[in-house]
Amino acid sequence: MKNKRSLFAVPYVIWMALFVVIPIVIMLVYSLTVTVTSEAGETLQFSLENFTGMGLYVSVFARSFWLAIIATVVCLLIGYPVSYWMAKEGPGFQRVAMALIMLPMWMNFLLRTYSWMSILENNGLLNQLFQKIGLIALYNSVTGQNIEYFQMIRTPGAVVLGMVYNYLPFMILPIYSVILKLDNSLLEAAQDLGASSVNVFRKVILPLSLPGVLSGVTMVFVPSVSTFAISRLLGGGTQMMLGDLIENQFLGGAYNPHLGAAISMVMMVIVVVCMLVMNHFGDGEEQAVML
Amino acid sequence: MRRRNGIGGRLGIGLVFLFLYLPIILLIVFSFNAGDSSAVWQGFSLQWYQSLFHNRLVMESVATTLLVSLLATAIATAAGTFAAIGIYSLTRKWRDPILTVNNIPMMNADIVTGVSLCLFFVAFFNGWRGFAEWINSVQSVVTLPERLHLGMVTLVLAHVCFNIPYVILNVAPRLRQMDKNLVDAAQDLGCTWMQAFFKVILPEIKPGIVSGALIAFTMSVDDFVISYFTAGSATSTLAMAIYGMTKKRVTPVINAVSTLMFLAVLVILIINNIREMQQEKMAEKRASFEPVKPNPFIESVREKLSTPGGRWFKRIAAAALCVVFVVSVGLLAAFTGSQPVVNVCSWGEYIDEDLITEFEEEYGIRVNYQTAESNEAMYSLIKNGGADYDVIVPSDYMISQLIEEGMLEELDYSQIPNFELIDERFRNLPYDPENKYTVPYTWGTVGIIYNTAMVDGEIDSWSCLYDDEYAGQVLLINNSRDALGIALKYLGYSMNTTDESQIREAYALIEDAARRGVFQGKVMDEVFQTMEGGNAAIATYYAGDYLTMLENNEDLAFVVPKEGSNWFVDAMCVLKEAPHYDNAMKWINFIASTDANLRNMDYIWYASPNREALEQYPAWYEEQYGEELDPEIYEIMAAPDEVLDRCEMYVCLPQETRTLYNDLWIRLGT
Repeated sequence: MKNKRSLFAVPYVIWMALFVVIPIVIMLVYSLTVTVTSEAGETLQFSLENFTGMGLYVSVFARSFWLAIIATVVCLLIGYPVSYWMAKEGPGFQRVAMALIMLPMWMNFLLRTYSWMSILENNGLLNQLFQKIGLIALYNSVTGQNIEYFQMIRTPGAVVLGMVYNYLPFMILPIYSVILKLDNSLLEAAQDLGASSVNVFRKVILPLSLPGVLSGVTMVFVPSVSTFAISRLLGGGTQMMLGDLIENQFLGGAYNPHLGAAISMVMMVIVVVCMLVMNHFGDGEEQAVML
Repeated sequence: MRRRNGIGGRLGIGLVFLFLYLPIILLIVFSFNAGDSSAVWQGFSLQWYQSLFHNRLVMESVATTLLVSLLATAIATAAGTFAAIGIYSLTRKWRDPILTVNNIPMMNADIVTGVSLCLFFVAFFNGWRGFAEWINSVQSVVTLPERLHLGMVTLVLAHVCFNIPYVILNVAPRLRQMDKNLVDAAQDLGCTWMQAFFKVILPEIKPGIVSGALIAFTMSVDDFVISYFTAGSATSTLAMAIYGMTKKRVTPVINAVSTLMFLAVLVILIINNIREMQQEKMAEKRASFEPVKPNPFIESVREKLSTPGGRWFKRIAAAALCVVFVVSVGLLAAFTGSQPVVNVCSWGEYIDEDLITEFEEEYGIRVNYQTAESNEAMYSLIKNGGADYDVIVPSDYMISQLIEEGMLEELDYSQIPNFELIDERFRNLPYDPENKYTVPYTWGTVGIIYNTAMVDGEIDSWSCLYDDEYAGQVLLINNSRDALGIALKYLGYSMNTTDESQIREAYALIEDAARRGVFQGKVMDEVFQTMEGGNAAIATYYAGDYLTMLENNEDLAFVVPKEGSNWFVDAMCVLKEAPHYDNAMKWINFIASTDANLRNMDYIWYASPNREALEQYPAWYEEQYGEELDPEIYEIMAAPDEVLDRCEMYVCLPQETRTLYNDLWIRLGT
């Protein structure tokens, strides 16, 4: 019986071999070669120079991972309580809320980001609001400075905001769907045995919802690392991230897909290591709970 | 679990919804703007909704997007769910590596996934070509198509590819949570495996499947890069159309279509919710009071459907629906496939779209009109074999690169009599010295756009870009070629220099200004809303686009600085081995006509290279709008010779110089 069920994995493994592994191998080949133009045309030649020259981009790597980690933590801090609260509402509310959480993401990414730009600009919606309610005047009188607006756009904070905005639903949905399915009798048992509501949360709900948290963290952190355009639009091009760097190799004036593939490979290896560490930690927790 | 929320919980949910919907509300508000700005409100109007229904490109791309996203989501959800079940019944030794590979499409930068899938498909097509040729040569019973193209099928495959990981990631936690003994128990009690699946596993993991499907659909709708590299030259999704507009600007038509889609989903949601609430109430009533009188017809249908034969009927009906769906898609494809076509790739908002309809009516040739984000994006797609466009409209420097790499076909000028109308000034230009490959489409200059309310006096030099006087108020153009080219010009060098020390000197100028905080940021198409909203004083951009901004902010002024600047030509060319060469000639000739040039000039505010159109435009404008064309505006649009004389045209730089530009530019961002 068990074997029969695992047969379901076979078509997917074949699919992955075709559409995931082969393209990755193509990119691996790209990353380990350079194009040499000669009279006979363009040929590929083995070379490690794409990797050896990567030291230039250490700061981009550092910034990408750092901002992605911050965005993931913020998403978790916002997403967990919201999922928890949502799971406590009535079924009608939940049905609508779940769809409403995804709905903004069906509006094109660029439009949403442009919208954020006009909210965050120096002369934008938020600054005008701050001006009206006297927040800027208050700030000036407290600090003795003389500013006309808060600089929000084109800062690292704006980039994090953009990532949180884009990926928050990916944190909420898996956590919510796990919390929703928690066995109520477990919570009641804990309460009957005298646990305070804080302890019920800490010792029962939180550990049991960990698989959802892991999925959520993966779905926020992983795309955040390779995100592009957010940093260009909200970071004002001064906060270059890995996604932009890679995009630049494929779609920039220099057109160097080999370097782009190499950067992507290195990025992927670091992400895989991060995920393995996290999954290991996560599974350990889960087993501890089961015991 | 269920206990009521306190006020804190409600407030928390409310705040998150405010955060999620604030930009959406703004976006919807600007779909009703009378102007075309997404920063400046000019009064209420429904004009964007009206133009939406005339905009075939947007409407078609919406249909394609929905079709592709729904198909890909359905396939990915079904496949992902079964795969997750399979993976979870494997031992950890097998499970972990499979899950790691599963995450790869998510981990990779989108562009890498897109390009690698494109290469993969193209390689497969080449293999197939050999195979089909061999099959066709050894037998004559069946004829296999020899040339396959990227299109709807590859697009859906690519979407399924990046959707499945999300489905698995959502289903997996629910499987982990599920008591594994449940299935065994069900089977011990006599369930078949299928019954156990439908009655035990499915209800348990359903929330995970639903959220997985939602995320998959979202990813599909929003994806641009992967679609761009796998859609081929005749299919275009909404996201592709939108990114194509960023070479100029994204029109509020997109806000309008997004608003409509948003409202449609909202209405479906509400109806669905009301229905389910009613059903729940009915169920409660049925449980507590006397049974609700059933509708005899519905009851009889329900009874019939629950018999074994009825269940088969349901299955067959579902299968039939699927077949009808697939066949209609196939027919649609076959129908459009049999019609003569021409594949055009240009920039978004770069043509008066009525021209496309007129051409189709006049010649009976369907125009597959695609748009690219930039010259480089188009180059990358063609280079990877991902497109078989007939006509493309690249800029000067890209044309010379394409010619150099042998990617363009010579034009048959005997089929393009309207070429005679192209002004002498725009023939035999450096990118195509003998004029064998190109027919110019538009031309214009690059200059400084500044806000007269924020700048004292007039600006006439590039020096303002690097001075402390306007610190924090200057927008740098986010394109290495333009930014460094301007700095070179300011220093008195040629924009096309290959002298490394001169380029480094130009870079030092920019870097120094950046360190002193002169630049507010680097922008491309965002320049529209930033300048229109008065958020920066000085920017560098194209003359035609300045005229668009001027309509939304009268304080803006434009100047081509005294040190000189760049002037550019975008021209129509035909790719090597273009599948519809003769149709391409007809299209080029049609677009080169005086009438088409006048209308394009009016629509996009870029000057025409057509002698007659240039001369006639002021009179034509007066006739159309009943007011005189401001001569100053005409001069900015079509720069006079004395301005052009101090401008330089880009030529294609050698690879080392391009790499140097790129490295320097990245260093500026780090």
